[in-house]
Amino acid sequence: MKIAIWAFMLLGLLVCASQAWSDDVAVKLQRLEQAIQKQEEMIKSQQRMIDELKDQIAKNAQPSAEKAIATTRKDEAPAIEPKEKPTLPSMSAMMSNPYLSLVLNNYAYTSRLSNEELAGRGISGYTHRGLERKNGFNLEAAELLIYAPVDPFFNLYVTVPVKEEGAELEEAYFVTTFLPMGHQIKGGKFKSGFGRQNALHPHAWDFVDAPLPYRAFIGDEGIIEKGVQYTYLLPLPFYTILGVEALQGENGVLFGPDASGGAHALSAFIKTSFDIGDHNTLLIGASAIKGKTLTESVAADSVFSGDSTLAGLELSWKWRPSKHLGFKLQSEYLYRTQFGQLTDSLSGTNVRLDRNQDGLYTQGVFLWNRFEIGARYDTLGLLKNDYLINATTQDIGRKPWRTSGMISYKFSEFALMRLQYNHDESDVVGKVNDELFLQAVFSIGAHGAHAF
Amino acid sequence: MKKVLLIFLVLLIWAHPVYARLQIVTTLPWIGSLAEELGKDRVEVRALVKPRQDPHQIEARPSMILAARNADLLIYNGLDLEAGYLPVLIESSRNPQIGPGKTGNLDCSQFVTVMGKLSSADRSLGDVHPQGNPHYHLSVQNILAVALGMTDRLSRLDPGQAAFYRANLVAFQARVREGQKRWASVKLKGKRFVAYHKYFEYLAAEREFAISAYVEEKPGIPPSAGYIGHLVEVMKKSPPDAIITTSYQNARDVAALSGRTGVRSLVVPHDVGADPLGRDWVSLMDRIIDTLK
Repeated sequence: MKIAIWAFMLLGLLVCASQAWSDDVAVKLQRLEQAIQKQEEMIKSQQRMIDELKDQIAKNAQPSAEKAIATTRKDEAPAIEPKEKPTLPSMSAMMSNPYLSLVLNNYAYTSRLSNEELAGRGISGYTHRGLERKNGFNLEAAELLIYAPVDPFFNLYVTVPVKEEGAELEEAYFVTTFLPMGHQIKGGKFKSGFGRQNALHPHAWDFVDAPLPYRAFIGDEGIIEKGVQYTYLLPLPFYTILGVEALQGENGVLFGPDASGGAHALSAFIKTSFDIGDHNTLLIGASAIKGKTLTESVAADSVFSGDSTLAGLELSWKWRPSKHLGFKLQSEYLYRTQFGQLTDSLSGTNVRLDRNQDGLYTQGVFLWNRFEIGARYDTLGLLKNDYLINATTQDIGRKPWRTSGMISYKFSEFALMRLQYNHDESDVVGKVNDELFLQAVFSIGAHGAHAF
Repeated sequence: MKKVLLIFLVLLIWAHPVYARLQIVTTLPWIGSLAEELGKDRVEVRALVKPRQDPHQIEARPSMILAARNADLLIYNGLDLEAGYLPVLIESSRNPQIGPGKTGNLDCSQFVTVMGKLSSADRSLGDVHPQGNPHYHLSVQNILAVALGMTDRLSRLDPGQAAFYRANLVAFQARVREGQKRWASVKLKGKRFVAYHKYFEYLAAEREFAISAYVEEKPGIPPSAGYIGHLVEVMKKSPPDAIITTSYQNARDVAALSGRTGVRSLVVPHDVGADPLGRDWVSLMDRIIDTLK
């Protein structure tokens, strides 16, 4: 009996369920039919719209009076619906190949000084690092530049200058592209946002060599550091960017890889820019960087250990009324303070060193068709030139200075030749150096970007 | 203090509709003009390239980066014409909305039929565009296709105003049709020109005139004296109707060539604003046809 009741209940349940299921199916079918009907209507109306547009375009494209178009075209079908090809902007074939280019930078060089004198030519009171160039032919580098988006969130950049001594990993960094509202983070090894010329690759410089204040305070190669950078493009009516960086502090002149057990340099900068009419652009900025220092670059046979701060002001002005004519002015003022122990490597004696020194360079380049003609003036110890050993001011001689002139010719956007002359009185204890460069820069591969 | 805050808040709410207008940044002037014609007072357009600038040689000025930062939509020509500054502009703008593949990023070249694609190219041929000739805007077929694509994109970004954009598109199409009637009365078919740069290929194809030679020996590279000598000979043997150039090119090369061959030279307004009367695409075309006739 019990079994019968159970069986009945089970049957009832099954019937109910199946009834419910069939009900459900009926409803679903009805809905489906309705949906299909709706879709059909939609398709019909869309077809009508497409036909209308087709007619319109056909009318526009081929007026009965004359068959204006399509007689010379293979593809006769006018674009009816916007065809949205998933293309990256102006970067074809980038999915399989990263954006790749190679820049060869080399020069012939002649100087009044011998190669030994060049190698030992420091700037006394500033740096005892010599010049790397030699009389004759010099190969600066064949610089490999690689760039591609990683995914929708990051871009990746790698710069590998291949020199005769071997390849270097000069830069390798990511940049975020997903952060909204003007924020961006850069990380890896990169050229610091400090100053103006620092962020430029040597092949993009207006002169063959680095300005004297750069040589004296941060070295020819500039501040290229491992670390992380945060920048914010402010929501203001004029361009203003703020940036802060935490860096390892490995710059051989200003800091030093072994100055501390970890990251030991911090920097901050602010830059703002205005357009004055259609032809003028002005960019001004202020930067500061500070960190621990352990370097042998201060004076011969000695090690300096202490703290350094470098502050900078920059100004760039570009006037470009047409593509045949232009002028650009670039100037930077750097001020470095440093204090710590200077140890003589031979005798092991310690002295306290305090240095507060500054430097300025100004360069102007006039553009005329494919020619550029420029002049540059560099000086050190312009307003401040304090060099104190154990709190006693030392006489480090007169102010170092240098003046340069250059003329360059662009065969195309990708090939440039430059003739440059320097009259260099930067080594106040050494000889005057008169030097002549004939530089050639070639670039192959992907189109480089023209940043301001 | 509370009052000040309240006033600020009211101002902010009151000011909101101003900000509700779509912020559009375009590269070339004709793109900006078309966006304005389709968006009217619903959009605020800034064209980065000035009419008298060479579109091939633009630097990303900081003010351009700032404009891109605040843009809802970036519209550009494509076909590598902007390769020198657009990638750096997009990255520096720190605005993910206008990044590649986003709704705020519109490459107009996707709508047009491209001429002059090169299967293989290297730079010994000059500053060539392997993806095809990027100067496609002087073509009725292309401008209508771009206008349609642009309307579609505006409607996607601002769906509430789709009907408004559609109406503006129809008005633009009507203006182009009217223009076509005017231009049809000027016979250019069969004419032969020498051009400075490959700028008028699409127009030549539509209006069936020929461009028999170029003042530039190779794209982007100014002519050598030897090449000009050769060109003078060719032009003397069979004189073309005119030498056509644009306002951003070196006028002296063309003037010298004109002087040596006796063939008149014409500066053709190449983009919206290059000629004061060419205020938008249709009036630009009026000016071009008027110059060429």
